[in-house]
Amino acid sequence: MPPRTPSTFTLLPPTPSIYTHCSSCLKREFSSTPIAKTRLRRQMFAWLQGPGESFRHPLPKSTNYLSAYDRRGKLLREGEHTPEGRDDLRPFPLNQHFVSESILSEPLRQEIWRRVQVEKKSVRTVSVELGVEMRRVGAVVRLVELERRVREEAKPLALPYARAIHEMLPTTPFEPGRITPHESINDLPVHPLTDQQIFYPTSESRAFNRTDAGRVFSGAPRLLDDQDIAQGHPSVEPWTNTKPEKVGRGENTIDVLKPADARIPHPHLIAYAQDQRDPALRDDEAEIKRRYAQRLLDDAESRAEARAKKIAVDEAKKTRIETDRWQFVVTDVKVSRQGTGTDGRGSASPGYRYGVPHEDRKKGQVKIPTRVEV
Amino acid sequence: MVVKIRLSRLSRRHQPLYNIVVAQARSARDSKPMEVLGTYDPTPRTPLASRDTPEKVFDPATQKMVPYKPRRYKDIKLDFTRTKYWLGVGAQPSDGVQDMLKMLGLWEGRPGTAEALGKGEVAGKSK
Repeated sequence: MPPRTPSTFTLLPPTPSIYTHCSSCLKREFSSTPIAKTRLRRQMFAWLQGPGESFRHPLPKSTNYLSAYDRRGKLLREGEHTPEGRDDLRPFPLNQHFVSESILSEPLRQEIWRRVQVEKKSVRTVSVELGVEMRRVGAVVRLVELERRVREEAKPLALPYARAIHEMLPTTPFEPGRITPHESINDLPVHPLTDQQIFYPTSESRAFNRTDAGRVFSGAPRLLDDQDIAQGHPSVEPWTNTKPEKVGRGENTIDVLKPADARIPHPHLIAYAQDQRDPALRDDEAEIKRRYAQRLLDDAESRAEARAKKIAVDEAKKTRIETDRWQFVVTDVKVSRQGTGTDGRGSASPGYRYGVPHEDRKKGQVKIPTRVEV
Repeated sequence: MVVKIRLSRLSRRHQPLYNIVVAQARSARDSKPMEVLGTYDPTPRTPLASRDTPEKVFDPATQKMVPYKPRRYKDIKLDFTRTKYWLGVGAQPSDGVQDMLKMLGLWEGRPGTAEALGKGEVAGKSK
């Protein structure tokens, strides 16, 4: 058998082309498998070397989404230093409805933490001042605390990851003189009770207001006119109507739905807006601000008072007995026939009931929590 | 027949939880009692942190701020009124319940014994 001459195809390095763009492809001499030259692959390399070239060195301080560039890879907006508009924040060219939302910038996060933990301002106040939702303010404070603890313990932080994310997403900046609101802070989630459609005949002689609507949705009887603070008592603001009220019996007890004025996260902003429109206070910005601060202070005080009262009531039922190793906490409870039920199996009295099996092995019992109360 | 205040174990393996019950002395431990007075959880639990829980506290021994270590607790729930009633009509607490009631000041000892008369511990019951 004569010695086999290697074919020229395997000996010669492949000529550099858009199909052999990578360094490992250029060195590949052993493979005789031709790379499939599909239309999509051709288009991909054409894009990488054409319009995609501008993404090789992305613009600093820009999200560099595809929608910010035209088909030839040219930046659409005026100049590189122009701030990004809504059109530049669509990461998916085929989904025009998806607009990337801002995340908190690092200075803003630190400022939130500083105002809450150092200046000891309430979460409510900081939320209004910086335009960040109250739940987010709480989350930021907890996370920054965690971060500080991790730093204290000299554990590694995923900083490159955080930096990369902050470069890829739009961020809400923090400038002390000019506050950029991060999000809508006074949104009210749809209450499940309001999903139903109700035909409710009501008298024309009486104003049917939000308080009444809430009571209808909860199945509570109408309030008498003198008890209804929204009925001809303009001096009382509806948002102060936060006293909890129950309706129904036994297991069917539910909270009466309060008017939206009282349920929104920042109800005092209503009173603030009313003050701003008040002709008597038109030129007195200081007075408006004073009233607003006073209302917040009063609200915080009444909340703290209610909380202290609740803790005191709970604590009064408890006897704490110290031993060397632990404490005994003895709670005085009430055993009643109503709680135990006539068959002795009711669950409202203390104690684990007899003859009632554990339900957690029963079919259809979901053990993974499906909701988190916040 | 004697009516006793005793513990009845109603829980899974390695997870003890007790009902404090009033029952006939000869009835089975976990049978349906005459009345349930409360519960006793013998496992020391760590209290949940609240917003008032400090993260660090000053330790006078080392003169340093040290992480706050909450004191563990054992949870007892008891209807004091009904317990007093049952003791008043002659229900006899079991040893375990007796210790618990002594701790709460609801039990002074069986009538006529040295313990009840304030002459110290009953022989054989000293701790």
